[in-house]
Amino acid sequence: MRRGIKILDRVGGAAGAALVAAACAVVVVPLVFMIGSSFMPAMDIMQMPYRWIPETWKPANYLRALAGNDGQWMYLRNILNSVIVSTTIAITTVVLSSMVGYGLAKFRFRGRNAVFMAIMGTMMIPFETVMIPLYLIIVKAGLQNSYAGLILPFLMNAFGVFIMRQYLVTFPDEMLDAARIDGCSEPRIFRDMVFRNSGPAAATLAILSFRQQWDNLLWPLLVAQEERMKTIPAYIVKFTAEKHADEGAMMAVAVIASLPVFVLFFTLSKYFLGGSAVYQAGKE
Amino acid sequence: MKRRESASGLERNRARWGWVFVAPGLLFFSVFSFYPMLNAIWTSFFNKRLLSLKAPKFIGLQNYQRVLGSEEFWNSARATGVFTVGVFVPLFCLSLLFAALITQMRRGKRLAQAALYSPAVLSSVVAALIWLLMLDPRGLANQAVNWIAMTPGIDHQWLSSATMVQVSTMVVYVWKYLGYFTILFVTGIGKIPDSVNEAAMIDGAGPVRRFFSITLPLLRPTTVLVSVMILIQCMKTFSTQYLFTQSGAPLAPINVITLNIYNTAMRDLNIGRASVMSTILFLFMLALTWVQLRVSKGDEAES
Repeated sequence: MRRGIKILDRVGGAAGAALVAAACAVVVVPLVFMIGSSFMPAMDIMQMPYRWIPETWKPANYLRALAGNDGQWMYLRNILNSVIVSTTIAITTVVLSSMVGYGLAKFRFRGRNAVFMAIMGTMMIPFETVMIPLYLIIVKAGLQNSYAGLILPFLMNAFGVFIMRQYLVTFPDEMLDAARIDGCSEPRIFRDMVFRNSGPAAATLAILSFRQQWDNLLWPLLVAQEERMKTIPAYIVKFTAEKHADEGAMMAVAVIASLPVFVLFFTLSKYFLGGSAVYQAGKE
Repeated sequence: MKRRESASGLERNRARWGWVFVAPGLLFFSVFSFYPMLNAIWTSFFNKRLLSLKAPKFIGLQNYQRVLGSEEFWNSARATGVFTVGVFVPLFCLSLLFAALITQMRRGKRLAQAALYSPAVLSSVVAALIWLLMLDPRGLANQAVNWIAMTPGIDHQWLSSATMVQVSTMVVYVWKYLGYFTILFVTGIGKIPDSVNEAAMIDGAGPVRRFFSITLPLLRPTTVLVSVMILIQCMKTFSTQYLFTQSGAPLAPINVITLNIYNTAMRDLNIGRASVMSTILFLFMLALTWVQLRVSKGDEAES
């Protein structure tokens, strides 16, 4: 009986592994398609049957992608915008979240629980619900088409506060007290001891925030209506929707947009997957 | 005596520093979360238009009446519902299936997870763009389906037929998030102690039986978490539908609620009505979160 089950397990395992392998292949196909097609003339992409390896190479797609259909080289500027916005947000999120998380983790004061619950409560507010009031605030402040307008609503988030607090709760109190007895000021303790030692949690949070903003389409669509202030996702939509857009150039645009995140993924996959497992809610 | 005084003074000083560290958070969330949330609810009772110089007028529930009485809103509710169910079922089942299979594998676990996860690295817009080309009448999707079904030369109208364009958006989503949720399930299954499984094996339970009577019940916290995450994610979907409609796909079948909010505010400039839909979306999310909290509390009580 037991032997029968072992055999069953082994056969099942082999079949399962084959199924997983097939699924992986299917899932990866569109990525191969993206990369291959980015080097092909448009005619070859829509050719039947599709040839996976380009017959005629057309690296000029990449020039077209960067120059745009109108030759204004707006993609370069939009990439720069995405880098500025996403990097700034990653930094401010980590700094501010660890500050607030530290305050909630290591200080006793009346109303601390209420503050914590209130901040956690904001996780339930979908960004789509508040985007229009936020947009009106930005308009009123005269910050449309500015980096400040793109960045401000995402300076920090509740999820960041949550993971930094959970991480810092375990920070040894003795070390903090020792530093206090030595006469260190509270801001210095935070900067030199607490913040310096929040590495793994901070890295996970930074990557998460960076990616979220790299991906963000809805907010830049609202606040950045001028071409020069658009970010990558908005550029992609515009480039794709234009008449006579070249399919090969579209895929080149897509490859360029994906390069930074893939580089992050391959160099820091530890934090990537750690983040995805921890990540439960947050702004889109 | 003197000592105690200074100790309580120290404590008060510490409490003050606590507030100092928390203050930026309070300020930020008040301005960028609580105020806009209340403002959205407030505005839903006003006749407010974007770019209009007239002061908005209080009109009670008229916005609600208009929205709830309009076909467009119900179409959006339907589109969002269909999309959510159409993504939830395959995404949940497939990621659970692949997680169960991957944990059984002896070699290549990490490679398989990385391969399945790779689309999740892409931006949503890029994901939608790749599929936009593959779903073209002359594209790869028609070729592949026709090859498998042996129906050469048929165009499945992925982006033009009302039914198929909905299916297409679902395909993009399932493809993009399959690996992400598979990894969550793999992590969940990994937390189940081996001894339970071994005991069942000794008792003569086959792999399928073990999956249904051991893995699945013990995996409950993860299944609840994944379900709620998929539902919330689906109800907020925007990028795929936006890119597809901007590139010429018909709007009505995939006019999901977020797209409708965006268009109502930015194209029709009707902030009041957009706020009504925002408020309804918020209530749905709140209900979902409440269900999740109740279910996970119930789990704690049980164990």
